[in-house]
Amino acid sequence: MASVSIPARTEYLRHGLVSWLATVDHKRIGIMYLASTFVFFLLSGLMALVIRLQLTAPGLQIVNQDLYNQLFTMHGTGMIFLFTIPCLVGFANYFLPLQIGARDVAFPRLNALSLWLLIFAGVVMEGGFLLGILGLLPGGASNAAWTAYVPLSNKQFSPQIGMDIWLLGVVLLGISSTLGAVNFLVTAYTMRAQGMTIWRIPMFVWAMIVTAAMVLIATPVLTAALAMLIADRNFATQFFNTANARLWQHMFWFYSHPAVYIMILPAMGIVSEILPVFARKPLFGLKAVVVSTILIGVLGFTTWVHHMFVSGVDPIVERFFMLTTMIIAVPTGVKMFNWLFTMLGGSLNLKTPLLMCLGFLSTFVIGGLTGVIQALIPLDMQLHNTYWVVAHFHYVLFGGSVFGIFAGFYYWLPKITGRLLDDKLGKLHFALMWVGFNLTFFPMHFLGLMGMPRRIATYTADRGWELGNLIATIGAFMVAVSVLIFMVNFVRSLRHGARAGNDPWEGNTLEWTVTSPPPEHNFDTLPTVESERPARDLRLAASNPTVPAH
Amino acid sequence: MSAWTKVGAARSADASPARRPNVGLIGAVFFIVSESMFFLGLFLAYFYLRALSKTWPPPDTPPLSTVLPTLNTGVLLISTLFMAWAERGIARGDARRLQIGTGVAAVLGLIFLTIQAFEIADLGFAPHSSAYGSAFFFLMGFHVVRVFGGVVFMVIILARALIGQFSARRRAAVQACALYWYFLAGVWLVVFWVLYWLK
Repeated sequence: MASVSIPARTEYLRHGLVSWLATVDHKRIGIMYLASTFVFFLLSGLMALVIRLQLTAPGLQIVNQDLYNQLFTMHGTGMIFLFTIPCLVGFANYFLPLQIGARDVAFPRLNALSLWLLIFAGVVMEGGFLLGILGLLPGGASNAAWTAYVPLSNKQFSPQIGMDIWLLGVVLLGISSTLGAVNFLVTAYTMRAQGMTIWRIPMFVWAMIVTAAMVLIATPVLTAALAMLIADRNFATQFFNTANARLWQHMFWFYSHPAVYIMILPAMGIVSEILPVFARKPLFGLKAVVVSTILIGVLGFTTWVHHMFVSGVDPIVERFFMLTTMIIAVPTGVKMFNWLFTMLGGSLNLKTPLLMCLGFLSTFVIGGLTGVIQALIPLDMQLHNTYWVVAHFHYVLFGGSVFGIFAGFYYWLPKITGRLLDDKLGKLHFALMWVGFNLTFFPMHFLGLMGMPRRIATYTADRGWELGNLIATIGAFMVAVSVLIFMVNFVRSLRHGARAGNDPWEGNTLEWTVTSPPPEHNFDTLPTVESERPARDLRLAASNPTVPAH
Repeated sequence: MSAWTKVGAARSADASPARRPNVGLIGAVFFIVSESMFFLGLFLAYFYLRALSKTWPPPDTPPLSTVLPTLNTGVLLISTLFMAWAERGIARGDARRLQIGTGVAAVLGLIFLTIQAFEIADLGFAPHSSAYGSAFFFLMGFHVVRVFGGVVFMVIILARALIGQFSARRRAAVQACALYWYFLAGVWLVVFWVLYWLK
């Protein structure tokens, strides 16, 4: 290898606050993504607790109706735009270059821009919310839900500046995530290690490739819609007159339905990484997993009208979207079988990352099935806008994405910090979160079937909704306690956790061939890949010197 | 500096030149995909609103004159020719052709923007007049904003060309700029056709 002269660096660029502010290292940027989005997760989680407290029993007035509307708006916005999407991007920032054997992403400075745009947008949105609920903004914060349907979100019905702050925040987040998508696509396309042909690309990287492609195609359409709404509100343009209100729904869901897959595909990628390692088997049907990932990405753009069955769309169009919605369950089902068969006959290593994956499988399958049920137009007309829908998408986005994210934390934090998380506390976290999650959201199916509408601030005692809501609130606080346990576990691990070593799990992918945490340049020499499990190849070669090293 | 130079250095040291892909150009292609989707969103809105309207444009809208936009279409197309000429030049190592071509293309871009300003000022309707006005101004306006961005990009390329930063082997930024400029000309052709000719 040719020697490279690297300019000597001043001390302040290596350590301390300035080094973090000025960094373009994908690992530090990844850590800042994970840390900032986790803060947004906690904020949105607190909002969820207030919402649950309010609904514990009929007629409670813990917060008034106005505040309640602002709370669920920011809860949903925060969880989706400020936590789930960018948190998974944080994992990609840290691990995509490592997994493909690269030293950084293709455009490191652009990467830093994505991060700071995200943080700026988060501060703008959470700041706007805080000022709104403190009464410092006339009219309060945005209260038109995360969907911001017109005419509710137009100047007439949402005159407050809080609505504009919210819209501006979403525009900034869109730019951040589009730039990130360009970066990941170019990185995965051009910077893979020698020998990493398409069927040797790690599953998480595949998931990020498809996710980034979806972001690239879907997000600009939302940005266009947001620009139109901002202009309607501030420059009296007439895009979303009451007569044209459905235009917003089309453009919003053209982004926001693919956004569901933008949130679930990377989590599926994490599960596809962890299951083979903890079952000590190769991934069952690798090519089927890859192809179904791509199919989900393509079909994800053909289903958006299923959010609009009660909006008065042409019945023929509705039937088309009913069918596509049912078809997209097929590649998802393929993946389910691949994961189950990966575990079948494997020697399961029942550590927390695997348990979180089992949590993912068991809850996501319910979310997927209720999705198919909801796709039926006549049924959807009944279920629309009820708690059934709330139950469904929490089973997808919490049961799926969030369990996937925590699986990722337990699997990869040892690589980031160099310390293992405590497995007993991890199992306690898992058990409490799984039980709490199901207690919270399973009763909501029944509440929805009994007719309880979404987004109501309170209800009367004569509806028979008391028991379901009480159980849901108890479950929500169990989830909160489980997240506290995770945080204690994490902080403890930084000082007292066992040393992780390079490869605590006997992993398959290249991040496990370097130290924990990896050196700034990742690899001393760029690796060469000869199978889809390069770290395993190296491990076997090292333990059995007679076999030629791959 | 630090990590950026290090990454660049490491990449050029480790990867053989034959395998080293044109990262900047590929990035530009993906960026243009997202730009296309933005304009597609605006076009979809335009056609959606058009389909819902009984009369399009609204009855009291003054008729559009195609004189200035036709002239402008010519200006933009000639500008892309100069850009292509400049890009071919640097591909053969001719830095002077790059400087002249980019300079002329940028000046033509500025002329396009100036004529667009006159056109927009003389339309006789406003963004808030009707849904037609809103959709019309958004398509014209966001294209103008992009062309302005393209001109800024060309000026940067020109400045870098004047201090001799490009060669036949090192011209990814020129290619990216040219590609974006062709893209903007293509978008203009669609905008022009949809707004001025489509009945």
